[in-house]
Amino acid sequence: MAAAALREQLNALLSSMFASGLVDDQFQQLQMLQDDGGTPGFVAEVVTLFCDDADRIISELAALLEQPVVDFDKVDAYVHQLKGSSASVGAQKVKFTCMQFRQLCQDKNRDGCIMALAVVRNEFYDLRNKFQNMLQLEQQIQAQQ
Amino acid sequence: MAGAASAAAERKVTIRVLLVEDEEIHRVLARALMKAVGGVELDEAGNGAEAVRRVREGGAYDLILADRQMPVMDGHEATRQIRALGVTTPIVGLSSDSLAADVDAFIKAGADDFTPKPLSKEKLNHILAKFNLA
Repeated sequence: MAAAALREQLNALLSSMFASGLVDDQFQQLQMLQDDGGTPGFVAEVVTLFCDDADRIISELAALLEQPVVDFDKVDAYVHQLKGSSASVGAQKVKFTCMQFRQLCQDKNRDGCIMALAVVRNEFYDLRNKFQNMLQLEQQIQAQQ
Repeated sequence: MAGAASAAAERKVTIRVLLVEDEEIHRVLARALMKAVGGVELDEAGNGAEAVRRVREGGAYDLILADRQMPVMDGHEATRQIRALGVTTPIVGLSSDSLAADVDAFIKAGADDFTPKPLSKEKLNHILAKFNLA
């Protein structure tokens, strides 16, 4: 596919990510830091760190919530960490879900936390797919330059 | 690029910032922001205890940015211990929890200011201006 068509596809993907609220202004800031600062690969680095962090934290949360006695302080600490990572990358939907998750944690609502984890996981998987598509398109564009 | 370079040139002196942060994603973002602002020499500590050690060992910083939740020693305790050393360097607390109670806890620990995460170029410029470092 020609570079122009790939670029068009990338722009459409990014527009849909912003329009659907998957990402917010912070993600735009990352793109600007990359473009203005002449640091190619910066967005990819942050996105990869976020995806690795989120994957690990979601696994830890699932394990904690399976325990007979749930340590809600630990759960809260992990959700806080995920909220921070998602805010840094501009993952708006994941961040909002984490905020609701923390409230359930503070209420020590185990069933609510299990449901919140399922929502966080879905939001994250959806975003990760989009990020992966974005990075693939960027690589393809790069390869044609 | 030109903006960052001119800001750094206007400042004339490089400022030394200690970032106290355990998570790589936040450190990567902070590095990029410092680079964009220009004229900043960034030092990093992975937890509060490491930050206290660096300051105690004579690290002369113009600004300390401290996360709250970290392993080994959190940002509140690190701030208290740095102040107990008699260090008056501006300390700005950082956290993604930014309710009044979160801000108060940092200020009571001895921080001069608090900024909600994520750090941005605008927030960093505001901090630098507030402490006459811009």
